[in-house]
Amino acid sequence: MKRILAMVLSVLMAASVFTGCGGSKSAATESKSETPSAAATGKKVSLDVVTSYGGDDGNRKNYEAAVKAWEQKTGNTIRDSSGTGNEDWKVKVMNSFEVGSEPDVLFFFNGADSNKLVKNKKVVSIDEIRKQYPDYAKNMREDMLGASPVDGKNYSIPVNGYWESMFVNTKVLKDCGITVPMVGYTYDQFLKDCEIIKNKGYTPIAASLAEVPNYWFEFLAYNYMSPKTFNTMPQSVTDDAGKAWINGLNDLKELFEKGYFPKNTNSTTDADTNNLMAKNKAAFMIDGSWKVGWFEENMKEDMDGDGKPDIENIDVVFPPVKGSTRASTDYIGGISMGYFITTKAWNNPEKRDACVDFVSHMTQDDVVSTFCSAGSISALKNGVTSPSTASPLVKKVNEMNKKVTGISAAVEDLMDNKSVRTPFFADVKNMVTGKLDITKAVGDVIAAQKAFEAQTSNSSEAS
Amino acid sequence: MNAMIYRKKGALFLFLIPSLIFMAVFLYYPFVMNIINSFLHITALGDKALGVNQPWYENYVKLFQDTLMGVALKNTFLMMLLPIVFQVGIALVLALLVDNIRFGTQFFRTAFFFPIVISASALGLMFNLVFLYDGGMINQLLQALHLQQANLPVDWKDKSHALATMFIPVCWQYVGFYFVILATGLNNISQELYEAAEIDGATKMQCIGHITLPLLRNTLCTCLVLAITGALKVFDLPWVMFPSGMPMDTTWLTGTYMYQQAWKLGDVDYSSTIAIEFVVLVVVLSQAASRVFKEKEY
Repeated sequence: MKRILAMVLSVLMAASVFTGCGGSKSAATESKSETPSAAATGKKVSLDVVTSYGGDDGNRKNYEAAVKAWEQKTGNTIRDSSGTGNEDWKVKVMNSFEVGSEPDVLFFFNGADSNKLVKNKKVVSIDEIRKQYPDYAKNMREDMLGASPVDGKNYSIPVNGYWESMFVNTKVLKDCGITVPMVGYTYDQFLKDCEIIKNKGYTPIAASLAEVPNYWFEFLAYNYMSPKTFNTMPQSVTDDAGKAWINGLNDLKELFEKGYFPKNTNSTTDADTNNLMAKNKAAFMIDGSWKVGWFEENMKEDMDGDGKPDIENIDVVFPPVKGSTRASTDYIGGISMGYFITTKAWNNPEKRDACVDFVSHMTQDDVVSTFCSAGSISALKNGVTSPSTASPLVKKVNEMNKKVTGISAAVEDLMDNKSVRTPFFADVKNMVTGKLDITKAVGDVIAAQKAFEAQTSNSSEAS
Repeated sequence: MNAMIYRKKGALFLFLIPSLIFMAVFLYYPFVMNIINSFLHITALGDKALGVNQPWYENYVKLFQDTLMGVALKNTFLMMLLPIVFQVGIALVLALLVDNIRFGTQFFRTAFFFPIVISASALGLMFNLVFLYDGGMINQLLQALHLQQANLPVDWKDKSHALATMFIPVCWQYVGFYFVILATGLNNISQELYEAAEIDGATKMQCIGHITLPLLRNTLCTCLVLAITGALKVFDLPWVMFPSGMPMDTTWLTGTYMYQQAWKLGDVDYSSTIAIEFVVLVVVLSQAASRVFKEKEY
């Protein structure tokens, strides 16, 4: 009897291992069946959402407030896994799709970064959504939605656009006897100013070439192009774009050799160099609209004891211009991100309504207006409503934005993130230290991008 | 009947099957797939292979030609050797010291063991602040002692200091772990031996050399094997402190380099090749360490 009991127990224990597997299979079968939507049944759902409004993003509070308002309105919940929208974050997002753990709603880049999502049908097009929800994204300008480079279709709804420009620490400049750069600030004047700043014991440029060399690369290459021509991937080292990249990188190397970057620029992080600006130890920093929130958060106190919040020491100006190919008031910007609904969520009848409702809520006029409070651009047909109260830095941003004459999207977004862009920017440290020839590096990145494009077109044809 | 159930071993095999299946699904199957993947061309995790590499052993050739892989291997070997001195060595000294004090033994045990319970990522962030260039703890301390000019801080993460800066926290983290094992081993040595030696006029050092160390040999061997194999697998703390081989690709380890290739560069097949090389390395070195530090029967 005991022997039989032992055998039965053993079989039960062995079978229990597979209990979980069996459960998931039946759940998958159920999801494919004609289940009524959550809205129809009144059942509350929980959505997995990933955005770049995490970390120190300037719109983090606006995002959290908008999410909370939607949760209160609908009774549904959001499981938020937002992060800082850097290269690591992009990789993590793409990896989540690759291993089948993608979110239901994703706020992500709509350029080349999302090509793979579109090609592999991991996200749903707006046309497809409109078949069932005709009013979806009707408050947005169709031409500004950010069509996918893959098939020209719109997949995402944008919120706020971005700009990249130069933040300056006016306290450092004042101590060095330098006036805040104005429209027409030349590269030669910039070099002279950097030399004065360096001799005074400050760091002229706050940037980590080990981690974030891309903003300086963009502007230094932009100096040799115009807003109309810049957003082009070079096809050879001798065409206009190729020459611009090489010249820009040579200028970056010159700035490094002159000692204008932090002494530890090849061994430090972006966060540490940001602190140089906050601590009034560095003068210039090229970054994007998302950094406004970081300054507002980290420089709201009067740490330097001059009787006013430290953020008043920060101004934003156009980066120095070299030559006359682009105007000094041209900068880099655009609408590069938007809300995607993933195919996985779309195919789940319990989540479909909630996803559409959530994205519609996050992209309605008044919510988008709050996200554009730092002077960002939007795709709203009615335009944004300016906030009644804005921080001193936001006011300066708005002043700068009024003077913009030309905008070009960031050229880095044309490159495949993993196989091309990441190794290219990782090699910038080797280029500036002379370990890697700049012309060869640009030739290599062109070849890598061509190989990626050939490979993806082959795999698309095969599928 | 009672005797029968112990004689027939069939039921025991049934109990072992779930674990075996678990190991097969989550360890052996992925490992076999890893070997196959190393010959294929895969550009993203979860993606289908785009075909077989040309030639099929391309990644293995690349492995031997890749200078960064050379850096990673060199650092990994260093990481394997340093714990012998700086983890087990320091732990032994501390254990001997604590074993010879009358009060506070439990306090020191807890204090030295404490770093083990802190996550490696948190330790990495903490040591980032300790070694920070601008306003870091060490630089501030040196400036306070007038050993460094305020405007000339040392970059503890530059090329000349990076390896030491990476190895110190890694070694420090596990000193407490080996300390506890060795302290327990010391407790098992009979006090009568020391008393007899004292009567014969032996000094403290002679007691350590002729009684403690020989009787602690087996415990020491276990610690050394654990330290060597554990050091080969170190990943999180170095990655938090020196992401992407910073500075100038000098701090790669086999684990961090494999991660970079798979997750950041999307070169899945090459990272599979590194993983195989890594497994071979761990198996060979573990076996070698087990043979060198073989336990003795007394």
